[in-house]
Amino acid sequence: MNENPSPLFSSAGAAPFDEAYASSDELRAIYRQAVRHFEAQGVDGVESLQHSADLSMLNQGVTFTVYSDARGTEKIFPFDLMPRIISAPDWDKVEAGVVQRMQALNMFLEDVYHEQKILKDGMVPTAQVMMSSLYCREMSGLNPPGGMHVHIGGIDLIRNATGEFHVLEDNLRVPSGVSYVIENRWVMGRVQPKLLNQYKVRPVDHYPQMLFDSLASLSTQDNPNVAVLTPGIYNSAYFEHSFLANQMGAELVEGQDLLVDRDVVYMKTTRGLQRVDVIYLRIDTEFLDPLAFRPDSMLGVPGLMNAYRAGNVALANAPGNGVADDKALYAYTPEIIRYYLDQEPILPIIPTYLGSREKDLAYILDHLPELVVKPTDASGGYGLLVGSAASKQELADFRVAIAANPDHYIAQPIQQLSTHPTWVEQDGQKGFFPRHVDLRPYAVCDVKGDVKVLPGGLTRVALRQGSLVVNSSQGGGSKDTWVLYPQNAEVPHA
Amino acid sequence: MLSRIARNVYVLGQQIERAENIARILDVNRRMSLEQGYFSELDVWSPMLAITHSREAFDKRFDEVTEQSVMDFLIADADNPYSIRACIGQAREMARTIRERISEEMWLSLNRMYQDVERAGRLSNHIEFLADVRQFCSAFHGLVDNTMSHGESWNFLRLGVGLERARMTTRILEIKYHLLLPSLDEVGKPLDYHQWQALLRSVSGYEAYRRQYKARINPELVLRLLNLDPRFPRSVHFSIKQVVKSLKGIGTVNRDQYALLREAEYFLDDLRGGAALEQLQKSSLKDYLDSVQLRCHTIDDMINHSFFNSTTVTMSDSNKNLISIQIPQQQQAGIR
Repeated sequence: MNENPSPLFSSAGAAPFDEAYASSDELRAIYRQAVRHFEAQGVDGVESLQHSADLSMLNQGVTFTVYSDARGTEKIFPFDLMPRIISAPDWDKVEAGVVQRMQALNMFLEDVYHEQKILKDGMVPTAQVMMSSLYCREMSGLNPPGGMHVHIGGIDLIRNATGEFHVLEDNLRVPSGVSYVIENRWVMGRVQPKLLNQYKVRPVDHYPQMLFDSLASLSTQDNPNVAVLTPGIYNSAYFEHSFLANQMGAELVEGQDLLVDRDVVYMKTTRGLQRVDVIYLRIDTEFLDPLAFRPDSMLGVPGLMNAYRAGNVALANAPGNGVADDKALYAYTPEIIRYYLDQEPILPIIPTYLGSREKDLAYILDHLPELVVKPTDASGGYGLLVGSAASKQELADFRVAIAANPDHYIAQPIQQLSTHPTWVEQDGQKGFFPRHVDLRPYAVCDVKGDVKVLPGGLTRVALRQGSLVVNSSQGGGSKDTWVLYPQNAEVPHA
Repeated sequence: MLSRIARNVYVLGQQIERAENIARILDVNRRMSLEQGYFSELDVWSPMLAITHSREAFDKRFDEVTEQSVMDFLIADADNPYSIRACIGQAREMARTIRERISEEMWLSLNRMYQDVERAGRLSNHIEFLADVRQFCSAFHGLVDNTMSHGESWNFLRLGVGLERARMTTRILEIKYHLLLPSLDEVGKPLDYHQWQALLRSVSGYEAYRRQYKARINPELVLRLLNLDPRFPRSVHFSIKQVVKSLKGIGTVNRDQYALLREAEYFLDDLRGGAALEQLQKSSLKDYLDSVQLRCHTIDDMINHSFFNSTTVTMSDSNKNLISIQIPQQQQAGIR
């Protein structure tokens, strides 16, 4: 036996801010117990836990589809055993910041589809909104229930070198991933019940109820019929669609299951047509209604927008939200918060250079190697350039592409994402090594504008050493995210 | 239950049953062709194409009707909707969309069979493969009954199986009039006898026949067993009984569905009472089989119309009575 076994944990290569290490040899208080717990297991113990967690995921069918894979095969979303732990005070700030953004962006959407005061007051350039391909003319003048547009939001956050949470991106259209939050906790409860019990962790499994309540509030019916509209089994997030529908007791429908008659939406059942009151949309707006948007859409429901306009069905999220979570509009979100709420933003954003602003464009082209460049119309980490990691050829190609189509790009200084101990193999050795993480909390908003944030969220982790891209489609994994109850607080019995 | 889900469960049952019966049809032919040596002018393979309504498609692909080409076409041709491969493929496709409604065991078993069929390619041993398909289909029915909750989905699956079985049993019987004897003198002679026996075996009915009639193979009694016997599980009577049971299990809520149930019950009455027997004795076999297939076709149409494409809205009025409203045809522009 080796007298001095190499330690299970290493802080070598950690970012300036590491979630678990206050300094290279000192653990943060909330992580001490967890690290001790894993150290007691040894390499073989952790390996076998990881194995049973993976198996659990596979058996549950927790999979996603990768588009670049020609066969569209289903893969498991790699799950990391070491939980990401967030203290109550840290979470309070995140929660308040998310609520604030959801409220302000809801007001912004209601405004740009009605009076457009913010444009008239010159706080956001009119062209930025009205010329955007994401501005949805069909929504103009339409009155969604309660004037609410964002019912389900996912706000991507990162912690930079100072450890402060920053907003990276808003997802106000079809934010996905919340099923992993619930499944991850479920797997943790199976493979690490002791550790989970030692910490006072706030539960996340009530999310389907939160979602259902928020959706049901959009209808005036007593017992509204809620349906989840999915593009079908070939969609990368089909697992989540079916999971949420099952958990809410809602019907999982495809476009072909619905029909609109005299502005009323029905679903086709074996007992005849049944009225649908609320639809949780998991398909992109452009495919929603071939009469209003893309006429070649086979996924949508002809006449759905008319039924929506007539107030006979509620859609969540409302179509047209893309104009508010656009990567270029992001630069204006602090102004938007100040404008509508008369408050200072609780969560700062990352300085953003817009290709559409002449001064910014010059800066972008001069400083490419220090910037992350993102196309404004893509998500999921596709088409992204990390200047520091790019080859000369890639930089040159991007410079040409940006110059040719500057409105299409934004750039941000490369952020030192925080790191977190993660079970990987590094230099031929298995252990917990620092890997970059982000955090996506999920929030729902009811018809009265009351925003509830799920205490937890999806922590995505870049499994490759040094990689800053955490997207599941780009080889990222996920962690269970533990938000702790305030110390000495009464822990309610779940 | 969503119409699409119900339809997919129904088609799943139908396709499994169809795959099994194609395997049985090919098997009866193989058995019949064993005697071919003595009657080399007998073409036993063309009737296969007639029964599966695939002669036209076959001629586009192959020049000559041979055992190998027909076997390949009906086993492994992905473009032929009446090939075993296409049936298993479609069954799996349906099952994929209803994973939450069927049991894990059903999915695993079907998926394994699918992989085997896809791998099969040009088979060296048809006999063994056809036996495998039959074995799988029977095992699948066992899983359906033993691992799936006996609710609405189960009833729709059994509905698909029952109706398809009634149809396919009549298709198997069609072999006898497509497969002409070399001369009329052969009726009742060893070749005729041999063919009827092969047919009985292919529907697993040989032992049942022996026990039931305790007689040598008599065409009239074979027809009775396969059409009218209430206890033989592949008879038309038994299959339609299953159709009626499934429809009752699903329940009827509107006029169309009630009309469908009544249609199936009339059919069952005719098979149970003397009407079908009388027809079987008086008219030609072909006319009789045609009329059974037509009735199955009508029921299938009515199932499609009343369960899978219903545009009836049923709701309660102010007195809590259920009322049905039909959405007129011209309003259905959006229905695909």
